[in-house]
Amino acid sequence: MKSEASDAERVLRARARALAKAPESPPSSQSLLHVLEFRLAQETYALEIRYVLEVGPFRDLTPLPGTPPFLLGIVNVRGRIVPVFDLRKLFDLPEKGLTDLHRIILVRDAELELGLLADVALGVKHIPAESLQPSLPTLTGIRAEYLKGVTHERLVVLDLARILSDSRLIVSQDE
Amino acid sequence: MEWYKNVNMNTKLLIGLGAMFILLVSAGLAGYSAIAALRETQRNLAEHDFTILEDLLEVRSDLDRQRADIKEMIASPDRAEQNRVEKDLNERTAEANAKIQTLMALTPDDGELVRGLQELDALRKEYQQGRTAQIALIHEGKPDEASKLSLGTLGELYEKIRGMELVLANNAKEKAKQAVSNSEERARNAVSLFVAVGLASLALSVALMVLLNRLVSRPLLQVTTLAKRIADGDLTLNPSNEQRADEIGLLMRTFGTMSDSLRRQIGGLAEAANVLGAAASEIVASTAQLASSASQSATSVSETTTTVEEVRQTAQLSSQKAKTVADSAQKVAQISQGGRKSTEDVVMGMNRIRGQMESIADSMMRLSEQSQTIGQIIASVEDLAAQSNLLAVNAAIEAAKAGEHGKGFGVVAQEVKSLAEQSRQATNQVRTILHDVQKATAAAVIATEQGTKAVEAGTTQTGAAGESIQTLANSVAEAAQAATQIATSSQQQLIGMDQVAMAMESIKQATTQNVTSAKQLESSARNLDDLGRRFKQMIERYKI
Repeated sequence: MKSEASDAERVLRARARALAKAPESPPSSQSLLHVLEFRLAQETYALEIRYVLEVGPFRDLTPLPGTPPFLLGIVNVRGRIVPVFDLRKLFDLPEKGLTDLHRIILVRDAELELGLLADVALGVKHIPAESLQPSLPTLTGIRAEYLKGVTHERLVVLDLARILSDSRLIVSQDE
Repeated sequence: MEWYKNVNMNTKLLIGLGAMFILLVSAGLAGYSAIAALRETQRNLAEHDFTILEDLLEVRSDLDRQRADIKEMIASPDRAEQNRVEKDLNERTAEANAKIQTLMALTPDDGELVRGLQELDALRKEYQQGRTAQIALIHEGKPDEASKLSLGTLGELYEKIRGMELVLANNAKEKAKQAVSNSEERARNAVSLFVAVGLASLALSVALMVLLNRLVSRPLLQVTTLAKRIADGDLTLNPSNEQRADEIGLLMRTFGTMSDSLRRQIGGLAEAANVLGAAASEIVASTAQLASSASQSATSVSETTTTVEEVRQTAQLSSQKAKTVADSAQKVAQISQGGRKSTEDVVMGMNRIRGQMESIADSMMRLSEQSQTIGQIIASVEDLAAQSNLLAVNAAIEAAKAGEHGKGFGVVAQEVKSLAEQSRQATNQVRTILHDVQKATAAAVIATEQGTKAVEAGTTQTGAAGESIQTLANSVAEAAQAATQIATSSQQQLIGMDQVAMAMESIKQATTQNVTSAKQLESSARNLDDLGRRFKQMIERYKI
């Protein structure tokens, strides 16, 4: 009997060793990339924290006539008039209409402040900078241009600086 | 002779028989007269001659007696006796005297006899005187003298009287003999006369017989011959056409008429026999057919009787069934009455159910409204959770921006976010549950509505069913009545069928009798046919 119990224990131990995973080494603060994770059209995207001002509810949208389709309109966020962009239009993602449950991620560059439409703001995430992989070969066009990298968890990290600096997004009366 | 032929039979017989009668009467008269004469003679003999003889004899005996009496008186000394004898003697003497007087009166014409009698009377008177004297002597007591007297004068006188009397008697005898011979002579004459008359009658009778034979018997014989030939069937002859006025002639003529009539009748009879023969043959054929028809009808009637019996049994069965049906219909009527009450109860129950359904619908409406309220509350809670989430995200952002210093705040933000997430999940669960509840409530509302409608429909249908059951009950009641009537009718039908069966039985018997009768009729018709044939043969025997 005793030998049987020891056999069982040995088997259990072997299985535990096989399943055991080495604990992740705590990432260094230098290499950590702080991103805001959000979901858009069933896909998970991320933005670097340093560009994000806040996340607000999508409310009181005022559509602007005579603007490109990706410009949904303007909203009033605590007294500031902010244009709202729809990335789905830019990324040719499927649309499911707009609800109050959408969020507006308020971002700011040195010179520009605008809102990006998101389905859900998932939260802040810290990812190591080395884990970022270059753009996927399947992504092409504008999505490849705006992409900073993709993590192992297939989190797409957008390069907001490049998006904001894109001249195509500048809406002027000249056009 | 010809005239006699023409007088009728009555007269003929009267004439003939009258002649014979006259002869007979004359013969009788002759006989009678002869017999009467004889009788007269006889009477004379008896009354006259023999009386004379007799009286004379008596007178003589009286005389003898007187002598005897006298002698007795002499002999007897007794005076009384003498007186008695004397008296008797006187009476006898008177009697004898009277007789002599009578004889004298009887024969006044006979002179000789009268004279003799007168002499005799005188002698007798003399004798009586002597006797009287003698009697006186006797009375005087002198019997010797008396007897002397008696032997003397009186004796002589007695002899004289006696001789006288004998003479007279002899004369009377002679006369009587004479009378007898006269009577015989007369009788002989009468016999001869009678014979003569008888002979004459016989001759006349023979003559009459011959005449009648010729005039009556021969024609009758002729007619008899004719009748015999007719009897043999020969009608061809006629009687001789003699013209006679009497019954024979009438008979002849009548016979001729009869013969003619017979000829005609037999001719008619021959035709009738032909017709009768044909008719009898047809009747035989018809009766044969009738007999077979009767047999067939008897068979049919027998089958019909069987069928009627079957029908009767069927009727009996149907009557029983009808009775059962009537009973069942009665029960069904009661049941349908019960069903009507049940439907009324059901209507009431349905109404109650409808009320309860309405209250359920109200409750469901309230429940739905409260669910709505719960949904709003959940939305508020969700909103709060979302805002908490946003706050947590923003706090995390701020913490991240703060770097090392915001690390603890970041953990708090993470916790808040987690709480918000839990709140969201809880609200999601509640929402799911509420959604289920709402769906269930909606389904319940719909179900309640449907239930209400169903109850209404049920009520309506129950009402309709109640009416139907009422109608059904009425129909069943009518059906029960009808079934009862049917049962009664079936009973009557059964009785009727019984009667029909009895009638059929009677018809069957009648048919059997018919068959028998038809067979008898057939045999009778055959007999009739034979009779017709025989009749025809008989008729054919006649020669017309």
